[in-house]
Amino acid sequence: MNAHSRDNEALHSSTAATAEEAIARQEALPPLTNEEATNVAMQNTLLTPRFYTTDFDEMDAIDVTPVRAEWDVLIAQMKADPNKGHFKKNEDWDTVDWDGMEPKLKAEFIDFLISSCTAEFSGCVLYKEMKRRGSNEDITTLFQLMARDEARHAGFINDALREAGIAVNLGFLTQAKKYTYFRPKFIYYATYLSEKIGYARYITIYRHLEQHPEMRFHPIFKWFKEWCNDEFSHGEAFALLLKTDPKLTTSFANKLWIKFFLTAVFSTMWVRDHQRPAFHEALGVDPKWYAQEVFRKTSDISCQVFPMMLDIDHPRWVKNLNRMEAANVAIAKGRKAGGVGGWLTRMGGSARAALAFASLLTIPAISSEVPDNPRMEPVY
Amino acid sequence: MGLVFRETETAPCTVTVSHRFEELSAHVRFDNGAVVYPGDTVQVQGPEIMAPYGELVEEKRLATITRASRLERMWTRATGDFEFMELCEFSFSEEVMS
Repeated sequence: MNAHSRDNEALHSSTAATAEEAIARQEALPPLTNEEATNVAMQNTLLTPRFYTTDFDEMDAIDVTPVRAEWDVLIAQMKADPNKGHFKKNEDWDTVDWDGMEPKLKAEFIDFLISSCTAEFSGCVLYKEMKRRGSNEDITTLFQLMARDEARHAGFINDALREAGIAVNLGFLTQAKKYTYFRPKFIYYATYLSEKIGYARYITIYRHLEQHPEMRFHPIFKWFKEWCNDEFSHGEAFALLLKTDPKLTTSFANKLWIKFFLTAVFSTMWVRDHQRPAFHEALGVDPKWYAQEVFRKTSDISCQVFPMMLDIDHPRWVKNLNRMEAANVAIAKGRKAGGVGGWLTRMGGSARAALAFASLLTIPAISSEVPDNPRMEPVY
Repeated sequence: MGLVFRETETAPCTVTVSHRFEELSAHVRFDNGAVVYPGDTVQVQGPEIMAPYGELVEEKRLATITRASRLERMWTRATGDFEFMELCEFSFSEEVMS
């Protein structure tokens, strides 16, 4: 008996209605014998989220009055929690043949799950901290609701990892951890973008797999639609927050920051996705097509608050993304090689990556009209 | 707070670790109202707190807060923003790079 066959028992904790019931079911499972435990051989993955602090007084001073009507609707919708029952495994969660999965695909897919879990988890830590340190009720309510969703997503991914024999270790709290700093406005830009691009990423895969169900090699993809609707509504909340202070999206310096954030997030995604060739091949997705598709959706959505979009059809765009990716491969090689030669390779790679990034950043952006009411619905 | 030297203090705290299907999370709350500033380091004392799968564990512990020096605090304020990529699902994780 191994990890996933245990999970396929009829009374799995994930089908339980309450936490108490889930725990009871978990405990009712026959204990693992030593031999089984060795067979399961859970790989231990230590989650390493970052810890943030910010200017809590500034955040507390936000006044949502200018967007009150839209704000109340959105918060009411999040409080109603339409996805409450969604993150449960049901009969659609078909058996995963982890042992039969091609090793490279398995490694890349697990990497995908772990980084997704870490991102959800980091979001949860950040939002919870905001909730705890703030006293402005509008803001603390929002962060509480978002922390709830992120913890739920992380729990769902964690369960998928457990099936694969990967145990997530939460022991990081007893290790020294340094608190880094985010200016509030950067929290808005970065989280707004990460939520919206997250939506675009998940929905693009979901729609692709609707057309090509034979490529769906793991049931978790079936959950992407409702999942990304959570991401979408988090992004909506940040869009409203950005609307409370027009300077955040209209001043010259802030426009430069927005362009920087867009370029950094898009190019990181490009480089990172190219490191998972087997994963994309198994899904039947060309990473270049996928990236451009996600950028297009994200650009269309982010026009709700950002007064510009990146020109992703500019001749320098894909060319320099490819350069960045090649430089990144060189950096990884240098790191692996070590020594003086490795160091030189790394430095060369870093310089080329910086140049490519500068070239991307200087592509003229396309300015766009920002509507008065930013609210949008997920339509992709 | 020194310009270049760090100072250390101890604060009682409550650690909550949820390792459940419906919620995966871990948080530290200082019970004496201690506040963490940019660049400070926090370490919860004692052995690792491990919540078995399906459980929520809450423990009272002591935490060591190492206060950043004034220079470190300024540095963290100036540069911390660039770690934002962590929030994206496609950010780099050390584990996979190795």
